[in-house]
Amino acid sequence: MGNNKLNEPTRLSLCLRLFHRYRDLAPQLVPLDYSDKPAVTLPYELISSMPELKDNPFRQRIAEVFSEHGDGNMTLDDFLDMFSVLSEMAPRDLKAYYAFKIYDFNNDDYICKSDLAKTVNKLTRNELTPEEVSLVCEKVIYEADVDNDGKLSLADFQHMIVRAPDFLSTFHIRI
Amino acid sequence: MPEADPVCREEEDLVGSLASMSSNERIKAIQKMPKTMRKKREIRNKVLKERTKKSRHRGAQWTQGAPGVSFRRFGNALSEFFQQLRPWHKSLKIIGAEFGTSVLSYFVFLKWLLNFNIFSFLINFGFITIPQFLAAEPNNLSFTGLELLTGAGYFQQTVLYYGFYTNATISKVENGPSYNMQLAYIFTVGIYFVICFLILLFSMARFFSSNFRLTKAFSVNASKLLCTWDFNITNEEAVKLQQKNLLTQIKEDLTEVNKEVVNFSVMERFVHIATHLLAWVVSLATAVAACAGVYFLSINNLKLFMKGYSNDLQRQSAMLVLPVIVSLLNTLVPFLFSWLGHLEKFQTPGQHIYVTIVRNIILKISIVGILCYYWLNIVATSESQCWETLVGQDIYRLVLVDFIFCLLGSFFGEFLRRIIGTTVCVSLGLPEFDIGRNVLDLIYAQTLTWIGILFSPLLPGIQMIAFLIVFFVKKVSLMRNCQPPREVWRTAQMTTSFIFLLFCPSFLGVLSVTGVTVWRLKPSEECGPFRGLPSMYAAVDEWIQTLERYTVSKWVVWIYHNLIASELFFFIISTVVLIVTYLYWQIIQARKTMIKLLHNQIINAGQDKKFLLQKLQREQRAKRRSSSALGGRGQQRSSSSYHPSMQPAQEVPGYPERAFDRNQNTSHNEHPFSVEISSSSDFSPGKQLR
Repeated sequence: MGNNKLNEPTRLSLCLRLFHRYRDLAPQLVPLDYSDKPAVTLPYELISSMPELKDNPFRQRIAEVFSEHGDGNMTLDDFLDMFSVLSEMAPRDLKAYYAFKIYDFNNDDYICKSDLAKTVNKLTRNELTPEEVSLVCEKVIYEADVDNDGKLSLADFQHMIVRAPDFLSTFHIRI
Repeated sequence: MPEADPVCREEEDLVGSLASMSSNERIKAIQKMPKTMRKKREIRNKVLKERTKKSRHRGAQWTQGAPGVSFRRFGNALSEFFQQLRPWHKSLKIIGAEFGTSVLSYFVFLKWLLNFNIFSFLINFGFITIPQFLAAEPNNLSFTGLELLTGAGYFQQTVLYYGFYTNATISKVENGPSYNMQLAYIFTVGIYFVICFLILLFSMARFFSSNFRLTKAFSVNASKLLCTWDFNITNEEAVKLQQKNLLTQIKEDLTEVNKEVVNFSVMERFVHIATHLLAWVVSLATAVAACAGVYFLSINNLKLFMKGYSNDLQRQSAMLVLPVIVSLLNTLVPFLFSWLGHLEKFQTPGQHIYVTIVRNIILKISIVGILCYYWLNIVATSESQCWETLVGQDIYRLVLVDFIFCLLGSFFGEFLRRIIGTTVCVSLGLPEFDIGRNVLDLIYAQTLTWIGILFSPLLPGIQMIAFLIVFFVKKVSLMRNCQPPREVWRTAQMTTSFIFLLFCPSFLGVLSVTGVTVWRLKPSEECGPFRGLPSMYAAVDEWIQTLERYTVSKWVVWIYHNLIASELFFFIISTVVLIVTYLYWQIIQARKTMIKLLHNQIINAGQDKKFLLQKLQREQRAKRRSSSALGGRGQQRSSSSYHPSMQPAQEVPGYPERAFDRNQNTSHNEHPFSVEISSSSDFSPGKQLR
């Protein structure tokens, strides 16, 4: 019904739409003709001003994960990557991989307690007390950490995703 | 430099394996890779170069791929054209942005159901109605506006109903190609149902496979935090609301953690169970009472109609009483059920929603069931001139009144409720969009339409228009009157359940009703394409008999006699399907056991890792103590005098490295245990070991 995975043409039309959205962010910087592969990078402020991202609490992490140098400034390739992973056509494992990277604030390939604390604060607008945050993080790690190293690896995260069938439809931004 | 070699080799292996796949598999494999687009493009170019190298060696085989490529390109171009239309993409995006995925799922379901109706309308109109226009009889009745509501009167003699269709073989030109209306009617309806069956089956299978939850008793908390943040929501207010809801849920979870498990006394448990039983008895009694009411009302209805065709206004409006009563029951009794649900104290709100939905389903199934019984047993054997048209009219009225009540329900349930909630009784607040009740209404309407296809071929067209109007009305009402849902609505699970409901009681019930009508019931003598035949299916029998005369079509006759009309064949197929199902079930059980074993293995490996880390730390601490006991000067001397004794120790870190080098895409920037080592004060040789 919702998830049609096979379509190359849907990808093409999505790519075209995304290119025009990218260009609309800064028409004077982005040329219409990309055949000579110009090296155009849009700064993070422009990307995060898009209506689809501007109120998302994780917009900075999303931009950092998909940008080339991890600073939030995106080329057209990065932009296409980002929305293609966030589209309904991306497979579950790909989405899980990138969601893991988004929630891994310190980029150490593990979601440790501090990453979880930052995530919880972003999800609740910093309205939980530090003790409550700590309690929640401990509970999450206790429930999801399968190999008992005190933090979540990619495998733990994917194991958790299997039990959350809503993930495919919620980790999705419509363009 | 040396580090580049394993990476290059890995890439060459990847390119090699990709080049040997078929193009579809290759596309899917490249899509799945978690690399940047530039990297994927490089890999794809390398793979294409590999393939052209290989194919140049093979020569002619490359050109054989060309027709397949061009066919795929044509298919892609066609798909792209339809994708460009993208109806309602913007509406769906706005709804998802402000209300989230759960409410969006209702609208996506509605859009999906619309496809069934559009398809049915197109094929019925094309194959049945258009030929009928060529052989139409003139309509002598007059048109008054009331027909739109009752479906009787002028509409009786139009293509809307079964009774109008001719049983003749239509041919425009003498001795030209002829069009057998009987076969067209039965085959169009039959093939439509077969295609629907297949579509529903495949949709259900796909949803089950992607949304199936393996174990229920697992991390609700963890997945709630990390997996259910709805990225669709892009409206600032809605985002704040979602954060507030998550905050409330987390706080509730935390207080449950602190609360002890309360053991109910025997008396309280007894009261609990008694309340549940009582609520169920009341619900079932209401459903039975509703059915009895509908039954007696419809018998009354039939008596009214048996007084002959008449354009008497009073009599025609009296025919509307049954559909209005049915719709009233469908609208009001659910409120009784949800009130009952509030009385019984459920342990989780999820249980409350689930039980209310089940009770609504029971009510709707019983009403539709009693109506079908009435139509097939009483109307069909009554002495009316054209019972199929009567049934068609009944269904038309039911569909129409249900549509009107849906709009009214939106008006009262959402618009007035908002006015009340904001002005008179502010504590109530804005209403929430009741997803469960609305989806069940959709399924009910679609069931009625499917039942009515045989008796009124253009009914899907009417339902199509109704669904379009409902979409817009619901969307406007949602945007203006409702607030985003506060409680967790397990979208994927509920959508799967709803598609299952659409298949299991709804579509299968329709198939059985249509089957009984086609096989067992005698069509009316004076109207319709099957007049005079002992049953509708007899038309196919006669056709097969005429085919027997021609030798060209002997294989069709053979297939019919030995495969379709033979019971032995179906028995064999059923046995084979049961055996295959049983085998798959056993495989599933075996895989579940395997999963448990692997899970335990991972836990054990984690414990091994911890144990070895502790052992390593102990060893290194012991060595440090023994070295500081040897020379008491400073770090440097201790480290320089350390080197000879490092040899055996160097082996140890190597072992954990090999054992713990998991096959992740992620590169280990720091070894997990080096943190522990460097954290123990001034032990610099730990770094030298690497």
